[in-house]
Amino acid sequence: MISEEQQDQAALYILGLLEPHEAAAFESELDANAELRDIAREFSEAAGAMALTAPSRTPPASLKQQIMREIGAKTEERTVVPLRRAPVGWVPWAIAAGLAVFCGLLVLDRVRLERQLADIRAADPLMQTTFFTLAPSAPAPVDSKATVAWQPGRQSGVIRISNLPAPQPGKDYQLWAVDAEHKDPISAGVVRVDKNGVAQIRFKPVEKAEHVKAFAISLEREGGVPKKEGPILLVGTT
Amino acid sequence: MAETSTAQQMMDQEMIARIGRRDQDAFSTLYARLSGPLYSLAMKMLGDSAEAQDALQDVFLQIWSRAGTYDSDQSSVFSWAVLLTRSRVIDRLRARGRRLRIVAGPTEEEEHGGTTDASIVESAADTAEKSDETARVRYVLTNLPSEQREAIEMAFFEHLTHHEIAARLEQPLGTIKARIRRGLLKLRERLRT
Repeated sequence: MISEEQQDQAALYILGLLEPHEAAAFESELDANAELRDIAREFSEAAGAMALTAPSRTPPASLKQQIMREIGAKTEERTVVPLRRAPVGWVPWAIAAGLAVFCGLLVLDRVRLERQLADIRAADPLMQTTFFTLAPSAPAPVDSKATVAWQPGRQSGVIRISNLPAPQPGKDYQLWAVDAEHKDPISAGVVRVDKNGVAQIRFKPVEKAEHVKAFAISLEREGGVPKKEGPILLVGTT
Repeated sequence: MAETSTAQQMMDQEMIARIGRRDQDAFSTLYARLSGPLYSLAMKMLGDSAEAQDALQDVFLQIWSRAGTYDSDQSSVFSWAVLLTRSRVIDRLRARGRRLRIVAGPTEEEEHGGTTDASIVESAADTAEKSDETARVRYVLTNLPSEQREAIEMAFFEHLTHHEIAARLEQPLGTIKARIRRGLLKLRERLRT
């Protein structure tokens, strides 16, 4: 049974009104809940119908021609020169047999490589690190950015921020981990930038975050808050 | 379309599948069917024909390149295209950092004296069917409780957040969320009948 709160979220999601971290959390909920997907589809159809209430207009014919030219050009770019047909009957069979053997070898090679990669990952901390690139959301300066290096195994990470001006007095920036298994973003602490708008900080979320989908920075009350209240300034996935 | 027959939805899905295989004829057919409503939406939200044409071009190029990612379990082709258009329009509005203008301009018929664009070739039956559908959606929307219609229109066309709508209407946030939810549910339910 879908609660009214879930239905509210579905309606806001379809209308694009959720904050990025809320949308990410809702999407993971959608993945796991068929009933919720059904209601989201219903809302999507209702929202789609809204377009028909706009006053009727027709685009100029020249626009269609322009678009058709563009897709024609894109198609040509992708066109691959076909292989010449083999002139003799047995040659295709020989090629097919050769390819089959080659594919078998590739599969064996892939299995071996995957094993080696798993060994390397286990031994090298860098291989256990996931990188997230955070881009500015509406209230943040367009050139502000941040990168997070996150190690799920250690439940800790490092964030580097640049071009983010210091917040006004009484406010702080706060880092959040958006985890697929938590309804709300998990606080990863307050982050303070220097006078150049730069910070490099090691952090650890206050709760275990094993399925982090995104990190986000919001503007909050000084000292931080247990649950996100303020606007998201930077957000990003892997 | 959201309110169209299953047969029409199946035809749309077939067109999208063919577009995914780089079929330009299918693309042309889908353009003929969708460009009017999508352009009308872009015009209502942007209020500028040049910008609306740019947005429509973006949308159709996306349809061409992303047809393979369309998921019929999530929405009909029409709703997918509408939400794609709305998203591109909102990107443009944000990028230009300007206030949204809602234009209640003249209709196509008023503007062009009843003529239609030569690029859109529709049978009389198609046109009549589309007019019926449009009239029905407008009727259903008009007959929603006014507070629900108002909240949905502000969210959909003006892209106001639920927080902004609550502030503008001086209502609690929960009330606005409920109005949007109930309005959309009612809209869907009535369009089905």
